[in-house]
Amino acid sequence: MSNAVEIKNLSYKYPDGTTALEDINLSIQAGEKVALIGPNGAGKSTLLLAMAGFLGGSGKVFIDGLEVNKKNIRKIRAIIGSCLDNPDDQLFMPTLQDDVAFGPLNMGLEAKQVEQRVAEALETVGLSGMGEKAPHHLSAGQKRAAAIATILSMRPKIITFDEPEGSLDPRHRNNLTGLLKKLPQTLVKATCDMNFAFSVAESIVLIDGGRIIAEGNVEKIMLDEQLMTEHGLETPKR
Amino acid sequence: MHHAHIDKFAYQDSVIHRLDSRVKFIVTVLFTAVVISLPRTSVSILFCYAVGPFAVLVLAGIPLRFVFKQILIVSPFILVLAFSSVFYDRSEVRIAFGPYFWDITTGWLRCFTILGKFIITMMALIALVSTTRFSNLLCGLQKLGFPKILVIQLGFLYRYIFILIDRAHHMIRARSGRKLKNLGLKREVKVASSMIGSLLGRSIDTAQRVNIAMEGRGFNGNWHSLSKLRVRAADLIFIFLAAAFTAGLFIFVKPILG
Repeated sequence: MSNAVEIKNLSYKYPDGTTALEDINLSIQAGEKVALIGPNGAGKSTLLLAMAGFLGGSGKVFIDGLEVNKKNIRKIRAIIGSCLDNPDDQLFMPTLQDDVAFGPLNMGLEAKQVEQRVAEALETVGLSGMGEKAPHHLSAGQKRAAAIATILSMRPKIITFDEPEGSLDPRHRNNLTGLLKKLPQTLVKATCDMNFAFSVAESIVLIDGGRIIAEGNVEKIMLDEQLMTEHGLETPKR
Repeated sequence: MHHAHIDKFAYQDSVIHRLDSRVKFIVTVLFTAVVISLPRTSVSILFCYAVGPFAVLVLAGIPLRFVFKQILIVSPFILVLAFSSVFYDRSEVRIAFGPYFWDITTGWLRCFTILGKFIITMMALIALVSTTRFSNLLCGLQKLGFPKILVIQLGFLYRYIFILIDRAHHMIRARSGRKLKNLGLKREVKVASSMIGSLLGRSIDTAQRVNIAMEGRGFNGNWHSLSKLRVRAADLIFIFLAAAFTAGLFIFVKPILG
């Protein structure tokens, strides 16, 4: 069986010549919940964008066995859902219902199927009955949940999250942690919050300077104080 | 941050709110066209025309205080335009209202006409946006055959204008926090230019990220919506009443008051 994500020798430079990713090799199994940790500017967000085919670069990326390239991009986008760091970028439609329906409608599903998916996705994230609301009427926590619903309605096999816990208060962060834990999909989360990563991840990938520094067991990596401090991080509070 | 949205009453429920957005849009456009095309001598007729949007606002339960506040907000430009006509057209005319009559200049007459038309058309427009959810309005425009790109742009404008206003407020607050003395006009203009430039840069950045979010969810240039619009008996009655009201005024009231 192929891995959910397979990255081989991926390198990427920004247009100004700055190296963002350098020789990344990574395999993520289906159903695995991985946290990408690293300091600001480490390349976490860039790696997530490369996985979903938003960036080029050298090397190869395979999603569910399909190579990420122009030919496969529509299939890839149906398999991998990207949840951006700012929910306001993710929620661009006039109502929450239209936003959650946006992906399924673009997939060519019938209106009835779309309605069912919208209802299910909103229920999963705890926003049932709020479909008629405009995104700017939602709280920060609700926006975050709504952004996740826009991805869930497409039923992707893999979901990437960029700083999903950003600007959430402890209660909403706990709700999010609970939600992410119960999702059956392969999850890849980029985060600077070590406590959050520690609580939701089954494996860790530590990135710094565009390179993978360490990957594997959560406790082994995250409780290594020297390793974490060397890369501008801290060990989680237990 | 909390914003006072122009469509904040659009989520209420009333017989007007339940009407099809296409019907409300077409009636508003046609009514506005009729009001604008009235001759400048028909100040008294304008009062009669105001009954239409006034009745719609009352039926929809839209507070009139809110309506006139919105009209005031957008009035400065029209006020300048209206009052400027007082100075360039000074020929005298006599106006009558029932048994009363006054001698005024044509400039003042033109000024009152402009203000009257502005208030009535604004009332009609506010009645439309206060009784129609923006998503339904967009869906209606799309179904009426408006260019797809225009509908998409309007949707984005509605969605992101508040975010842009928030950002501008944050920047102004950040500037105020560090501006400890009067900088002088030249410096102020320079700082304001930088802030506008920064706002533009961030808007472009946001646009790129929104594009990523759209492409990530399979956007291929086609705009789909789940909104369902249906013309029902109530819509047909509304069209009939609106047409009868406008035509009635046009045919019968004009000769009497005009």
